[in-house]
Amino acid sequence: MSDYTIIGKRMPRIDSRAKVMGKAKFTADLKLPGMLVGKIKRSPYAHARILSINTSKAMALPGVKCVVTGKDTEGVKWGVFGYTRDQQFIQTEKARYIGDEVAGVAAIDEETATKALDLIEVTYEELPAVFDPMAAMASATELIHEEFANNINVHVNIDTGNVDENFEKAFYIREDTFVAPEESYFQAEPYAVVARFDHEDCLEVWCPNGGPHMKSKPLSNAFKIPLHMVKIKKIAIGGAFGGRSEICPADYICSLLAKKTKKPVKIEFTREENTIATRQGHAMITSHKTGVDKDGRVLARETTCYMDGGAYSSTGPIATTVPFLSMEQAYRMGSVRYNGYRIYTNKPIRGMIRVHGRGFACGLDTQLDMIADHLGIDPVEIRLRNSRQPGEYTSTGSLVSSCAMDETIHKAVEKSKFKEKWGKLPPFHGIGIGTNSVQTGFPMGIRGGSQSFIKFNEDGEATVMSGVVDNGQGNDNMLVQIAAEELGLLPEDIHLVSADTETTSSDPGSYSQVSTFVGGHAVLNAARNCRKKLFDVASKVLKVAPEKLAAKNRLIFVKDDPEKSVPIKKVVRISLLNFTSVNAEGGYWPKVDMKREWVSNPYGQMCEAFSFGTTIVEVKVDPDTGKVDVLEATAVQDVGYALNPLVLEGQFEGSIAMGGQGGMLTEYHEWKEGRCLNPTMLDYKLPLACDMPKINNIIVESIDPKGPYGAKEAGMSIAMSAAQAYSAAVSNAIGVYMDSFPLTPDKIIAAIKEKNLKAKEGLE
Amino acid sequence: MEKIQIFLNINDTPCEVMVSPNDTLLEVLRDELDLTGSKESCGEGVCGSCTVQMDGKPVRSCLTLALEAQGTKIKTVEGLANGDELSDLQQSFVDHGAVQCGFCTPGMLMSADALLKTNPNPDEKTIRTAIAGNICRCTGYAKIVEAVGHAGHPQDHCPDCKTGCKTDHKKGE
Repeated sequence: MSDYTIIGKRMPRIDSRAKVMGKAKFTADLKLPGMLVGKIKRSPYAHARILSINTSKAMALPGVKCVVTGKDTEGVKWGVFGYTRDQQFIQTEKARYIGDEVAGVAAIDEETATKALDLIEVTYEELPAVFDPMAAMASATELIHEEFANNINVHVNIDTGNVDENFEKAFYIREDTFVAPEESYFQAEPYAVVARFDHEDCLEVWCPNGGPHMKSKPLSNAFKIPLHMVKIKKIAIGGAFGGRSEICPADYICSLLAKKTKKPVKIEFTREENTIATRQGHAMITSHKTGVDKDGRVLARETTCYMDGGAYSSTGPIATTVPFLSMEQAYRMGSVRYNGYRIYTNKPIRGMIRVHGRGFACGLDTQLDMIADHLGIDPVEIRLRNSRQPGEYTSTGSLVSSCAMDETIHKAVEKSKFKEKWGKLPPFHGIGIGTNSVQTGFPMGIRGGSQSFIKFNEDGEATVMSGVVDNGQGNDNMLVQIAAEELGLLPEDIHLVSADTETTSSDPGSYSQVSTFVGGHAVLNAARNCRKKLFDVASKVLKVAPEKLAAKNRLIFVKDDPEKSVPIKKVVRISLLNFTSVNAEGGYWPKVDMKREWVSNPYGQMCEAFSFGTTIVEVKVDPDTGKVDVLEATAVQDVGYALNPLVLEGQFEGSIAMGGQGGMLTEYHEWKEGRCLNPTMLDYKLPLACDMPKINNIIVESIDPKGPYGAKEAGMSIAMSAAQAYSAAVSNAIGVYMDSFPLTPDKIIAAIKEKNLKAKEGLE
Repeated sequence: MEKIQIFLNINDTPCEVMVSPNDTLLEVLRDELDLTGSKESCGEGVCGSCTVQMDGKPVRSCLTLALEAQGTKIKTVEGLANGDELSDLQQSFVDHGAVQCGFCTPGMLMSADALLKTNPNPDEKTIRTAIAGNICRCTGYAKIVEAVGHAGHPQDHCPDCKTGCKTDHKKGE
């Protein structure tokens, strides 16, 4: 289809070699001369006023170099948005969840630091705590944050108008409520941070991050030093999945300890800390009321969602909106009213997560299946009647340029033999479909664009600089692939400098599915600008117009006469001898509606492109044990254009594991009085190799008009639609529409029992 | 706690280290010997990220005391390649896209390598069972299972082995 040399090929990732050799350095692997071990003292109470902290015994312990408390800070509150500044990095007044930061220690080794934590004496006055969002809204006791009435942290209201009128016109209306508890990321790498102040008093920090520039700004604010003095450094990152997008209090505490001790300090989280004190996925209670015409087309929808936000805002306004966005992008809704409430509770902080809104999306899709059932339509048909079409606008006013939603449905149906199997499977076998859509980024103001810089070295090889970070998904490889394609080099000729705030320009970060679309685009533009310079020089050497030239395999050649060529290395050297620069920059800023704001104005162009995905799974349920065996999963996504099918397939397969297998069957947190009862891998059931079904991957390409080479996003539409497909398949297998996720054996057995009881009562 | 001197054989290299009796093999590898390829992810023997081989068998180095490793041959991920030349298994992981974030990769490799040493041609179920103690959060395991299956004897129908791609995944097959 294309004549690309490197783009679109199944290229093994450039970072794999170091990783299989054990040479790739992650934060915890770093060792700096004189480095101290840092530890964080956390609140044992869910809600408590801090009356006093005595650090003298801890300070007196041999080997302890420094103890910091809220008194050592300026008490500044951090928030992603101006209106959500509610979190201190070390609490000065009260602790709001079990795990909240109250002090930090630096010592010569881990044993000493741990002992010192126990010697810090904190006197608390315990306050009444709330753990349920509905109770928190009605609570008459002390607010978790006094500026937020009824403990309502964020309220997103979207209303396209005509909702009530359209319900009047509906042929059939249903209203159902769905619930899902919290889930966690369980990135392979526990959170860790290393900080030091260098000889110029610049702060250097290594830590997992979803965007280095999202870390440097809050640290610059907190230490009151300019941005150029905060150097977030490149380091291998062991997964993010949305959980490492923001500043972590540990980043600040580690830096503060480094500042006071004048030594490098490393803090490594335990697995429990990674679960409790980074971020979690929101628990949700979602009610969908949907009115359809006699053909099952949605005329009106009203959705109300209550999200358990935990103790602080985090990315609250975004988190309260994204589950709605995914659905308004995937389906036409006629008219819609959405009220999303994010409620403070005395539980760990909730943020963005890859399968954010599983209860929301699975609920909406389950209800669609119920409506189809009532109308005598099959699940595929009702989706096709409501699916997003290219050229349409979403309910909140985003133009959807490229969209192959229907093709993803058709291909998934064909591959899985859905039509042949639907209604014809043996008892307790089921098949289900889910469809979803995610956005490539959102309006981010001055951080919405990405910029890249490319320099050629005299040997004809190039250094590419980009602010894009690789959390493990393969962004580094993506950038190198693009640069090599455009510059006519081989991937090994390119050295990538990325995700370093000292040397690379601002970038939106890799947590909104935007890295390829925006960051990759910036590299593409920089490379084309650089290539233009080379072509200008080469055109003089080859005596043809620059437009007639192409670059490939380290050569610049005449398109119509490929024998006529000059090595890129030679062109670089000629340029330098002729006082001509061979460096170039390039950037990309998506044309979004800058007036769109999550709470105050949730309308306008959200981003430039949307991906669409369909997953179908087939399951077998054991009615006696409630155990679900997944026989096959088929994942189909409109990715725009597949820059590297090998990498995309890995995203699809990982998405089935996290969204479907884990997200819908086993993963959730259990609580007792605000204490998480399963924070470790022993208790929280992650999918294993032996659990996973056969996965069919199908890539659909709609060639987005704005995306680099037409590319959009890969994987997240699958993670979300997989959750929907798993829940639909289990519901189909047991003949009960499930409304509480994930679908654990106890719930499945209870649903089957209730169904049998009802059938028996019906007979009597 | 008082430190004592022990002798270990790591990746066919003899070494002497001072350890506390309660030091784990993982701590000694990472902190004393600078072999940071083995990772700590759960710290309680669940996730397999710290897997090394002790006399050819995969063990959790986070649950193994350094003292227990005396008199055995320990192999870590750093000992898999022959200098700069990757082992067939490592190369297969690279070629098949079995590595994403890479944090679980060293442990995964050590479990898979131990399997292949005793069973060079395992079927899919055997592979999945052998690596069931290694948690990967990124890949969904599909490409890892493929990579282990193809290690050592790349087959000509495989799209990602060096023999060339015969499969057009974009057509859904």
